Amino acid sequence: MKESVYDVFARKERGDPLHHIGYIDAPDSELARVYAWRAYDEQNWFEMCIVPREAIIAVNRDDGPFARSRETAS
Amino acid sequence: MSGALNAADLDDTLRADLRRLIVSLADTKRILGIRYSDWLLGAPSIETGIAASGMTQDEWGHARLLYALLKDFDEDPGPVEHDRDPSAYACCDALDAPADDWADVVAFMAVVDNALTIVLEGLAEGTYEPASGRASKMIAEEGFHGEMAAAWVRRLAAGSVEARQRVAAACAGVLPRTLAWMAPDDEPARRLAEAGILPAAETMLARFTERHGALLAGAGVDMPEPDRSDWDGARGRGPGHPGLEAVERARGDRNRELFVE
Repeated sequence: MKESVYDVFARKERGDPLHHIGYIDAPDSELARVYAWRAYDEQNWFEMCIVPREAIIAVNRDDGPFARSRETAS
Repeated sequence: MSGALNAADLDDTLRADLRRLIVSLADTKRILGIRYSDWLLGAPSIETGIAASGMTQDEWGHARLLYALLKDFDEDPGPVEHDRDPSAYACCDALDAPADDWADVVAFMAVVDNALTIVLEGLAEGTYEPASGRASKMIAEEGFHGEMAAAWVRRLAAGSVEARQRVAAACAGVLPRTLAWMAPDDEPARRLAEAGILPAAETMLARFTERHGALLAGAGVDMPEPDRSDWDGARGRGPGHPGLEAVERARGDRNRELFVE
């Protein structure tokens, strides 16, 4: 089963900044939503969202955790 | 809600009808939790296992809430939870045997868990106030169960020929008895519908088809007629019962002396 990495972002309260809280592996975005909600359920999140890591474009460095997606995209 | 009912408003017959429903829902959630729990470490990925773990805990939490409704009838839920023989369990027939593989687990999610939600939604919009309040909380927590089920049915249906055949066979196998359990067509069920506590059988069947028929059809599964043969009116399900091993776990036999209430 081919899986992709999805980064998980969440905020605790309305108006709080969105924090990167982790990532999950999932075969598609539909399952990624369910897995993210279940894997990171230690807080009563006001809002959670996920982003496919390959959609994140690194800006200022080539050795950060998101840098590989830029290499893949280019 | 106008016309809201409590146990004191019900005659003995209707109380018995409602008790059958509550015990059957609670037993189904408890045994479904056991069937999910068997796959926490055997699921196709770690993330899937974590999701199944959350669903297991939801089901057992909901079972506890439902058994506790018996207090409204001045009945101690303890003996119902911990002392019954397997033959008294009123869970949905489809859960009598454990899942043989992940396709069976997906069928439990897509058919049994979704059928449970249809019944809970009926209770939530009904007149029996103690159940309608609790059902609303459960339905909110069940949202991701339905999404997990739909995603996995679509995934397996779009996979290999074997995966498509397995999930179709698993869903088709549990549908007829689950529909009969979800929508009983007997006197107790009709009395509950007349009292406005639960929708009529045909309404719940129509809701299931409307909501899940397309998903199942996409996996090659036609919606069958409910199988109501050998109906057991005392329990509100078909013949048979879950095996002793599952019931021992449901009752908590091994840790009886260690219970903390």
